[in-house]
Amino acid sequence: MIRLTNVSWRRERKASTPVLSNLSFEVPQGGFRWLLGPSGAGKTSLLSLLHVESLPSDGTLCLLDKDVTAHTHRSVLVRLRQRIGMVHQDFRLMPDLSVADNVALPMRLQHRPEDEITDEVQSILKWVGLGDQLGVRASRLSGGEQQRTAIARAIVHRPGLILADEPTNALEEPQAHKLLDMFSELSSMGTTVIVATHNEALVRRLPRPALVLERGRLVQDGA
Amino acid sequence: MALPFSGRKDGLSLSEALPDRSLFILVAMMSFLAALTLTGATGARTLSTRWAGGAAQLLTIQVSEPDQPLAVTSKADKTAQPTRADAVLADLATLPTGTQVHRLTQDELARLLTPWLGDAGKTALPLPAVIEVRLAEGQEAPTNLEQTLDAHVPGTVVEHNAEWSTRLRALAQSLLACAALALATVGGIATMITALATKAGLSTRRDIIKILHGLGATDSYIAGRFAWRTGGLALGGGLLGTLLAMAPLLLLFRMAAPFAASTLQAASTTMPDWRTLPDLLPGDMLIGLAALPFVAAFIGWVTTQFMVRVWLRRLP
Repeated sequence: MIRLTNVSWRRERKASTPVLSNLSFEVPQGGFRWLLGPSGAGKTSLLSLLHVESLPSDGTLCLLDKDVTAHTHRSVLVRLRQRIGMVHQDFRLMPDLSVADNVALPMRLQHRPEDEITDEVQSILKWVGLGDQLGVRASRLSGGEQQRTAIARAIVHRPGLILADEPTNALEEPQAHKLLDMFSELSSMGTTVIVATHNEALVRRLPRPALVLERGRLVQDGA
Repeated sequence: MALPFSGRKDGLSLSEALPDRSLFILVAMMSFLAALTLTGATGARTLSTRWAGGAAQLLTIQVSEPDQPLAVTSKADKTAQPTRADAVLADLATLPTGTQVHRLTQDELARLLTPWLGDAGKTALPLPAVIEVRLAEGQEAPTNLEQTLDAHVPGTVVEHNAEWSTRLRALAQSLLACAALALATVGGIATMITALATKAGLSTRRDIIKILHGLGATDSYIAGRFAWRTGGLALGGGLLGTLLAMAPLLLLFRMAAPFAASTLQAASTTMPDWRTLPDLLPGDMLIGLAALPFVAAFIGWVTTQFMVRVWLRRLP
């Protein structure tokens, strides 16, 4: 479950204008939300906040039943981050690691057994169509392949919350549709999913409630 | 089936972020200096202990014309009278229980004087008798010993080491303080070198660390990865520096060995054989030298842990 109550966020403590201003909304466990809005509306900033890459300047943020603003101890935030899968716009892969090692990272950081890691990584990479590229370095992949690797890395450890920032940008349409189906399936299995996109066709294909941001303010909460 | 390139790979590539050559060589140089300083400190401490204990309890007594009768009054008396040396020995026998008195034999005396007189056994110069008196722990020689002996056996000279021992002890303790200061300085420089190397490594791996952090890597995981790398390099550098220092140290010890004797009869003018040298090295110094690489590794590990954890505080 995600709950924001009057959350504002400033890039710097003394900045006069907040990037996100007075946001309040709630997404239940297993909920799916589109995150829409023009460029610069604050979609990426909101996803960063939900990924605990930064903390709210004001207000209360509850993620996966933890009050992030009350539990600022680093170990609590790290454990929380381990339960979130994030797909960044710029993929953020480790260029020197193989596709398999990139995808295995979240599980390895959680010290999962190597057998379990092998099984999960192989099946998820097969699913995203990279089953034959396990040993290829991430730096040698095309944009679409990097995006699929980043998606596989975000979901391989079965997180409780998936955040995706323009996850279909570099994908072919069939791959994008497949990804949406998978997000929808994960959501129905209890994973909360928030997907930021500009792609209206995708939104039309999967009609779900949308959070619409404009200049850092929530102008529509489709819940 | 194992994953391709699987293992503990996390993309930090610390062998590139923290190049082994610079840190390894700098730590080796620091360890070399530390090994030399540690040996100097051991020498100063040994001296200090020696002068505080054994040597301060030592009296050296010289009896001129030792084999002459004590006082010749007639031809008949000449055979009955004890020699001057025997008379001094008899007087010394009255010193408190626990006092050890030893008259140096001709061989021991000749060996002591060899550096000045060559083969002293063949010299035409009249040699005095040299008597070494070692007082029991905590005991002092009677204040009037020299007057008593001189009155009984004229020309007897008593050399007491106490005054010199106080001065030499102060000197040794000053040297010890300097050595401690030098060791602390070397440790400080090693800490700074490690801190700078870590800082450079962190700046080259900034983006990778941010990704790992975002994937849920704990501070202790990231700090540990860096710390084991620098700790390992410091251990290797420490080993190399200590081993390189052993050559000059053994040479110095061999040269200093003749001066390390605690008694005159044990004193030797010749340097010990290379093969027996390891047996003469002080045990605590060997332990100190063996510990040096591990101390270097510990400094590297702790400094890196601290630096990385402070750096990670910038991230939420």
